[in-house]
Amino acid sequence: MAVDLDSCTGCGACVTACHAENNISTVGAEQAAIGRAKHWIRVERYWEGDFPDVRLKFRPVMCQQCDAAPCEPVCPTYASHHTEEGLNAQVYNRCIGTRYCANACPYNVRFFDFFNPSWDKPLHLQLNPDVSLREVGVMEKCTFCVQRIKSAKTQAQAEDRELKDGEIQPACVQSCPPKALVFGDLNDPESQVSRLSRSTRGSTLLEDIGTRPKVNYLARQTQL
Amino acid sequence: MTSAAPHQRLRDDLLRPLLETSWRFYLLVGVLGVFVLAGLVAWATQMWFGFGISGIRWPVYWGFFVTNFVFWIGISHAGTLISAILRLVNAGWRRPVTRCAEVITAFSLVIGAMFPLIHLGRPWLAFWLAPYPSERLLWPNFRSPLVWDFFAINTYLTGSVLFLFLPMIPDFAAVRDRSSGLRRRVYRVLALGWRGTPKQWHRLEAAMSIMAVAIVPVAVSVHTIVSFDFSMAPVPMWQSTIFGPYFVAGAIFSGIAGLIIAMAALRKFLHLEDYLHPVHFQNLGKLMLVMALLWGYFVFNERLVTYYGNGPSEMAVFWRTQRESFAPLYWTMVTCNFVLPLVILGITRFRTITGCVIASFGVVVGMWLERFLIIVPSLGHKYLPYSYGTYRPQPVEIIITVATFAAMCLLYVLFAKFVPIISIWEMRAVQHPSPALIPPATAEHPLGETHA
Amino acid sequence: MDRRSFIKLTAVTGASATLANCGNPENQLIRFVPDDDLVPGVAVWKPSVCPLCSAGCGLSVRVMEADVETVRGGQAGVVRMGVAKKLEGNPLHPVNQGALCARGQAALQVTFHPDRITQPLKRSGSRGDGRYEAITWDAALAELTSKLDALAAAGNQRALTFLSRRVGSQRQALVEEFLARFGAPPQVTFELFGDDVLRRANALSFGREQVPTVDLARARYVVSFGADFLGTWNSPVAQGAAYGVMRQGRPGLRGAFVQVESRMSQTGANADEWVPVTPGTEGVLALGLAQVIVSAKLRLASAAGRAGALIDGWSGGLVDFTPERVAAVTGVPAPRIERLARAFAGQTPSVAVIGGAPLAHTNGLFNALAVNALSALVGSVGQPGGLHFTPQPPPLSMSPGAAARATASPSIEKLAADLLTPGEAPVQLLMIDGANPVFTTPRAWKVRDAIGKVPYIVSFGHFLDETSILADLILPDHTFLESWVDAIPESGSLAGVLSMAPPAMRPLYQTRSTPDVLLEVGRALAMPLAPAFAWQTYDEMLKMAFASLPVTAADADAWTAAQTQGGWWGDFPASALVRPPTDMAPSPAASVVAYAEPQFDSAAEDYPFHFLPYPSSAFLDGSLAHLPWLQEMPDPLTSAMWSSWIEINPATAERLGIALGDMVDVASVQGTLRAPAVISPGIAPDIIAMPAGQGHQTYTRYASGRGENPIALLAPLTEASTGALAWAATRVRISRVGDPDGRLILFAGGMREEAEPRR
Ligand SMILES: Nc1nc2c(c(=O)[nH]1)N[C@H]1C(S)=C(S)[C@@H](COP(=O)(O)OP(=O)(O)OC[C@H]3O[C@@H](n4cnc5c(=O)[nH]c(N)nc54)[C@H](O)[C@@H]3O)O[C@H]1N2
Ligand SMILES: Nc1nc2c(c(=O)[nH]1)N[C@H]1C(S)=C(S)[C@@H](COP(=O)(O)OP(=O)(O)OC[C@H]3O[C@@H](n4cnc5c(=O)[nH]c(N)nc54)[C@H](O)[C@@H]3O)O[C@H]1N2
Ligand code: SF4
Ligand code: SF4
Ligand code: SF4
Ligand code: SF4
Ligand code: SF4
Ligand SMILES: [Mo]
Repeated sequence: MAVDLDSCTGCGACVTACHAENNISTVGAEQAAIGRAKHWIRVERYWEGDFPDVRLKFRPVMCQQCDAAPCEPVCPTYASHHTEEGLNAQVYNRCIGTRYCANACPYNVRFFDFFNPSWDKPLHLQLNPDVSLREVGVMEKCTFCVQRIKSAKTQAQAEDRELKDGEIQPACVQSCPPKALVFGDLNDPESQVSRLSRSTRGSTLLEDIGTRPKVNYLARQTQL
Repeated sequence: MTSAAPHQRLRDDLLRPLLETSWRFYLLVGVLGVFVLAGLVAWATQMWFGFGISGIRWPVYWGFFVTNFVFWIGISHAGTLISAILRLVNAGWRRPVTRCAEVITAFSLVIGAMFPLIHLGRPWLAFWLAPYPSERLLWPNFRSPLVWDFFAINTYLTGSVLFLFLPMIPDFAAVRDRSSGLRRRVYRVLALGWRGTPKQWHRLEAAMSIMAVAIVPVAVSVHTIVSFDFSMAPVPMWQSTIFGPYFVAGAIFSGIAGLIIAMAALRKFLHLEDYLHPVHFQNLGKLMLVMALLWGYFVFNERLVTYYGNGPSEMAVFWRTQRESFAPLYWTMVTCNFVLPLVILGITRFRTITGCVIASFGVVVGMWLERFLIIVPSLGHKYLPYSYGTYRPQPVEIIITVATFAAMCLLYVLFAKFVPIISIWEMRAVQHPSPALIPPATAEHPLGETHA
Repeated sequence: MDRRSFIKLTAVTGASATLANCGNPENQLIRFVPDDDLVPGVAVWKPSVCPLCSAGCGLSVRVMEADVETVRGGQAGVVRMGVAKKLEGNPLHPVNQGALCARGQAALQVTFHPDRITQPLKRSGSRGDGRYEAITWDAALAELTSKLDALAAAGNQRALTFLSRRVGSQRQALVEEFLARFGAPPQVTFELFGDDVLRRANALSFGREQVPTVDLARARYVVSFGADFLGTWNSPVAQGAAYGVMRQGRPGLRGAFVQVESRMSQTGANADEWVPVTPGTEGVLALGLAQVIVSAKLRLASAAGRAGALIDGWSGGLVDFTPERVAAVTGVPAPRIERLARAFAGQTPSVAVIGGAPLAHTNGLFNALAVNALSALVGSVGQPGGLHFTPQPPPLSMSPGAAARATASPSIEKLAADLLTPGEAPVQLLMIDGANPVFTTPRAWKVRDAIGKVPYIVSFGHFLDETSILADLILPDHTFLESWVDAIPESGSLAGVLSMAPPAMRPLYQTRSTPDVLLEVGRALAMPLAPAFAWQTYDEMLKMAFASLPVTAADADAWTAAQTQGGWWGDFPASALVRPPTDMAPSPAASVVAYAEPQFDSAAEDYPFHFLPYPSSAFLDGSLAHLPWLQEMPDPLTSAMWSSWIEINPATAERLGIALGDMVDVASVQGTLRAPAVISPGIAPDIIAMPAGQGHQTYTRYASGRGENPIALLAPLTEASTGALAWAATRVRISRVGDPDGRLILFAGGMREEAEPRR
């Protein structure tokens, strides 16, 4: 994934898209007030300077799908583990809720289910059958919309062809108006995301921690 | 004076609590039981309604429960470790102290080990931490410090229970010999056929030597591994190479404090003034003073290095504890763990039983705060400021925390009710066929003579 | 199992697990979850149209099978049917180009909302207490028909009034037709954050009474005066997509952008340069830029044509608008004005846009005309990278004279005043279609009292809100997913667009499509409509509308194609357009407009702060506060969820002893509200800003009783020449009244990325 901070407008479409795609339950005002809201992707905002010379920075942060993910070795049950494709997968059924992985994740992108999720009927009809629901006591997080990856692959397989670059679109990427989010195969040097990851504007978040994230952030530019 | 009379008195004094029961015992057990029950109800409530009734939240996913876990595992270092070391160095004054110390280990380990379960999101699946054969070939992840915890605590618990149990065998035999009916039958089982033959003494002696040697590294490793729960995660101020020794030192520190409190209580309520002397408290007090200095050194070291390193995320946590929201707790901790012990235990005049107990209470509070302050401020201040957060404990956590203190007391009271809390046979060194096992009294440690 | 086999099994499993581990590269310790376990379901994608704002974005709806508890033919049961599971942008659609905004994503929850009205209701309690009884459609329609018949019999057809929101669509045309044929006045529309002032200005400057489409994708330098074009204004998804191209879509060329406003909006947050300005003086700043450009001979004053000629002093070189004098009025330093002006003239194509608060002052029209003139001066009108006007197809008007009525529409303010005038109520029957003026108008207009005086009220909305709860009869509409739906975007595309789609799923409840209801009622009237409708159903009407589209031959089968692709888009033959494509040519000169200072409702001594309500990112004017996904979406600038709040400058807050979350009373002449404070560096010291949207009394379980409504504080001031509400012209005073009480719910912790500096 690549995130172009120069074109991200902070609109939050990705946040809602992720909720809609991944059956993330809303927790309600009272729970949100005590830090139980779950946003697999969040748009961080940072103020810089003071009035009137003030600037604001937006930065969408989702699971960085680290190559050396600190959340993986600490998980006692392999609920958090690495797939052969290099994704950091989360097996909800295998999670016993130690929350250790969330502590170890430097990006704070893992969210714990404090209660069984509930939907006021018939809001449950909005649920995506391709994504499992998480019961109380498990950890959940951005999966890079693994169900969409799988779906696109199955489609390509059925049509007996290779996956096209850009064919897989996670929900957040799909929704983003300025196309600030780009998803693709980093193993393919020709893919758009690979090209962006080689940009001179590119960097990864908290590089010095050594997590080797697979999300590249392209710096915002300034010009007057 | 024949030698039989003191033996008789020793036996009477030390077995009296087992054989006589006052209403105060029932009242105490009742009150403590209510607290423990409240804790169990709280836990059941948490499982029923969901973990959400606790105070943890994004991103502070560990709070009181893990604090309690580390705290109680720390307290457990009171007993087995201290007692083993004292055994190894042949400190004669330890004799009346060892058992009441060792039992602290066993119980606080059990209580501490419950917290990883209590804090699980899905405690009913806790057995997935254990390696057991499953047709899915699913093993626990041996790279996870939590799995190391599982093994370390189990090992330490097994070792400590053995270490506690072995020297109890002759005393069980003593109780067996002085009781009748059901009690006699129970203690007969517990005494494992102890007859006091030289061969049996020899075996006991050998077993205790092996255990004493083996348990020390286990104890040290347990709290080192508990410290790994933190130092293995890339969290500001957790990733520290001194956490191993720092945690072990803290554990012994709080363990001694727990022991002093327990001994003072026993001395007062079981009227063991003749057995637990001021010198015991003074000696433990001196040991605690040393640990206070060591603890102070570690804390100073940790802070100084962080300050010099000046990493932005570390400094955020640093200032939060030093000056901002957590500062009141931080400075209370420093006062309790350093200033108070130094003043009370450093000045000979204050190093009385009362003084030691006051200092110990301070250390217990201070060490609990230390664990809390290691966990919560760091988790609330991890790298990306947008995701900063905080934590507010909820009733369920407070109730369970209080209940574990009550559970500790309750277990202790019950233990003292059913087992001689001071090792009778160790006190009767003279009768002992193997003086090598129990060193002779010396000028500094005149306790051997008192009852011999 | 005996002990021996247990041990064996342990050994075997242990060994195999170890072996399995050895064979795997680092970090891939297990392969016990085969990829094949994940079997995605089969979905059908259907087009639809987002109904949540006037942008008219095209949707792709993922439809999958589900078991639905519902009532069919009076029988409750479980029905297996295709239901919408996810909304995505229609990739073919020229407005949103595959993307959606957060609100569009959440539109799914309109259909599945637990508090939807599921069947016709008749008031059973006293008006406004929310007690209703279920009735059948037959009974409901008979009642409505008899009311209309009674009006017609009394020759009092003008006593029917229809209240709706301003959206371009064939549905609106149908309502208009119904009213015209019945003999009722045109519908009354009200948009709190509407762009009527801008439409009027564009009509004067460019001869197009329409909001513009800004060709950001090809622009190099953009100056936006208050227009939150990346957030809530106009066609935000289209503008967001174009903005992406402007910034990073053209190799080697990155467009620059300056935002002029007094409170940093989400759009302002993205600007290269953010220019705070004294509220209401945006037009002065625009003329200041123009003055520099003209006096430096970067452009000839006459290049602005008619748009310039409208401005007092334009031909004389705007001598009253030298940088120094503009600096004194606007608070923007003179050198900065010079620099901005030169950049604007130098880095072409450049364009100036205006929207939002600058239009909502008493001198809003002046501000808009000044900005228009600035755009015209650099020749950006109708040019690549400049201002465009999306071609509008002719509305489907079959009855003579209906089109001519459009401008005769009375304002809601006038309607309320008339109703409150003692005497016979001028409105006997009020129909309300999705509008909630009780919530979105200033209290001083007394709209609730006025509507309460109408003898009979019919509402078509999906939900009980502050206005529809006054209704005597509720005829719930299908949602957009359950019915034929269309929109005619006014902006967002350079080519003409008609968004249109058939139902994406079967209705969940006993609801009926409002256009169909109107057609049915029209047929049932005792005195038939003249002329009678030629269509039985709404889709027949849409089909006819598409058939009569003035499209080129290649697009002849627009109707069939539109049903699968979600609408029609392309070029209309110029001859067929309602308005010529580039009618930027002179037309009868309007009178020259001069700068007038913005008027405020009270004196700065008593009410020292400007009060700036703004459309919230999640709820716009409050019409979306009922959607839980939007309630829980963190606000882009404050990260607040489920809350309302006021924004205040840090220096002001410190002076008044106000800290984050403290409860603050905000008082205007019109009233007081209490809200928690958010300290925001992006706001001028003399401004208090507050998002609209919360403060509903009646609007489903998710919005009712939550937060405060800033509109309640607004003074009934209007823009001088258009009569539009001047919602930025109210002044307030504030006082701290208490500690944080938990009402402010924030997702974020830190405000700044670098730790605050320490002593
Ligand atoms: N009442 C009732 N009980 C039944 C049955 C019934 O019909 N009725 N059917 C029985 C039958 S036939 C079966 S097969 C069982 C199925 O029951 P279970 O064996 O409990 O299978 P699952 O429900 O799929 O849950 C196991 C979960 O573990 C996780 N998991 C599996 N492998 C791995 C792995 O390698 N790594 C990690 N990290 N996680 C993994 C997966 O997410 C999986 O969802 O139920 C049996 N029980
Ligand atoms: N959605 C969903 N699908 C699944 C699974 C899941 O978890 N969820 N699990 C998968 C797994 S692991 C399995 S094993 C399969 C199981 O799938 P099935 O093999 O279909 O198992 P059952 O659903 O138990 O149905 C078996 C049928 O056999 C009948 N039956 C019972 N006893 C006898 C008998 O003695 N003789 C005969 N002739 N018939 C008998 C029962 O009445 C029943 O109709 O389902 C798989 N499919
Ligand atoms: S949808 Fe795109 S532009 Fe909007 S906040 Fe997310 S990443 Fe940024
Ligand atoms: S971002 Fe966090 S959760 Fe995601 S892989 Fe990295 S450490 Fe794990
Ligand atoms: S919370 Fe779940 S995923 Fe995280 S470490 Fe614990 S068991 Fe693993
Ligand atoms: S990739 Fe999918 S799961 Fe991850 S943030 Fe985007 S929408 Fe959510
Ligand atoms: S801009 Fe308007 S029409 Fe488009 S998706 Fe957002 S709310 Fe819907
Ligand atoms: Mo199975």
